[in-house]
Amino acid sequence: MPDIHVVRKDNRHLYEAYFDPYFRLRHEIYVKQRKWMALERPDGREIDQFDTEEAVYLFCIENNQLIGAMRAVPTLMPTLMSELFPHLNLRGPIHRSDVYELSRIFVIPERRGEHAGPRIDMLLLTAIMEYGLSTGLTGFSIVLESWWLPRFERCGWKAHPLGVPHMMDGMSVLAVLVDCDEGTWTTLCSQIGLSRPVLTWRGLTGVSRRSLPDISTRVQPAAQQAQ
Amino acid sequence: MQQLEPYWGRRALDFVDAIEATDSFAGVVTQFEKIIGDLGFHAYIMARIPSSGESLVQSTVANGWPAQWFELYNRENFKAVDPIPRHCFNTLNPFEWKDVPYDREREPAAHKVMMRARDFGLNEGFCIPIHYDDATAAVSIAGQRPYLDAETRSALHLVGVFTHSRLRALARPAVALPARRLNEIEAEVLRWAARGKTAWETGQILRLSERTVRWHLEEAQRKLMTKNKTATVALALVNGEINL
Repeated sequence: MPDIHVVRKDNRHLYEAYFDPYFRLRHEIYVKQRKWMALERPDGREIDQFDTEEAVYLFCIENNQLIGAMRAVPTLMPTLMSELFPHLNLRGPIHRSDVYELSRIFVIPERRGEHAGPRIDMLLLTAIMEYGLSTGLTGFSIVLESWWLPRFERCGWKAHPLGVPHMMDGMSVLAVLVDCDEGTWTTLCSQIGLSRPVLTWRGLTGVSRRSLPDISTRVQPAAQQAQ
Repeated sequence: MQQLEPYWGRRALDFVDAIEATDSFAGVVTQFEKIIGDLGFHAYIMARIPSSGESLVQSTVANGWPAQWFELYNRENFKAVDPIPRHCFNTLNPFEWKDVPYDREREPAAHKVMMRARDFGLNEGFCIPIHYDDATAAVSIAGQRPYLDAETRSALHLVGVFTHSRLRALARPAVALPARRLNEIEAEVLRWAARGKTAWETGQILRLSERTVRWHLEEAQRKLMTKNKTATVALALVNGEINL
């Protein structure tokens, strides 16, 4: 199984080698494949105003290759929702220390829809819950394509709409607030067969966080009798 | 970016809050009928799009079609020619019935379905496809002269997606995990089989006769519709019926 690394300003120096491929992958996926042409940059690296020092990245890495990623931005700072899509949020702006906004969630095309081992997208959705629980977050805001909602529902993510869907560039998008809680995390873990936290916190010993327990599995009765 | 008067947007958000707080299937349906009724829709269906060997009756989540239309639709097997469910596979976005692509000349059966629907007051409709990894569902609503514009389409999209999700959750058994088919003793003997124990050894551990263990293994095999013990263990592991 690939590793999911927490990358933030405190340990970014350990991951410098991954940032250039990371921004190029974003350009490949969001500009070339999904045609979000407003993001196009001549250097072939997709970087925007939300890639600040305060952004937190989850890098999914296997054999030194980046195969998926996700970005979380504090809602106390400007976000996609507050700056670019405020009309998607009818419930009023979210500026809360316990809510981060997720964006640029992707898996490289070669690794989508795998059936051997946990799917990378599910792994990322589980890992960000683990990150949130570890660091005291209670929710994530997201601007997403509407067709993701049933997938969230199926995997146990509880999404509350902040507004109604709007058509943008031929695709329906909307803003949601997703609960970050232990129930969601454990449900996801048991769905994809994880029995313990998976995040790698390399170089982040100075970051205060709660350590999460292993998740008990249903095998326990048999294990006890074997002893 | 066009800024819309968000009356229907706010109605839709209030609606979602209300159904999330409603714990009965019928209660959600009543609220859904009210909000779509206010927009001129008197009929609806929510269903997984049936595969070729399956009937619409089996895959329906909530049925608000006129009874005679539902009966006619199934009797005449309209699902095989109806262009609306077909289009759901081809689009991620909601669409109006009038915009569904089909060729009137070359697909007279498709045209016939659309025309017959009008006999039941289903003149105009709006369909919201819902895509899962392994299935596609739809919420389709119709009326004689419903009120459809950019704002109400957005509101109905939200209403449709969240109603479908809420009704599925309420229709499901109380346990959130996938339905389990094995009882505890069948799962237990499979766990030991997964660890390489023979039926005799499992019997010793669980203080059961070897015959009883075999019987539970066969029951598990029957329930999971597998061919042998190895396949039964493998499927039970994949389905999460047992863990190692």
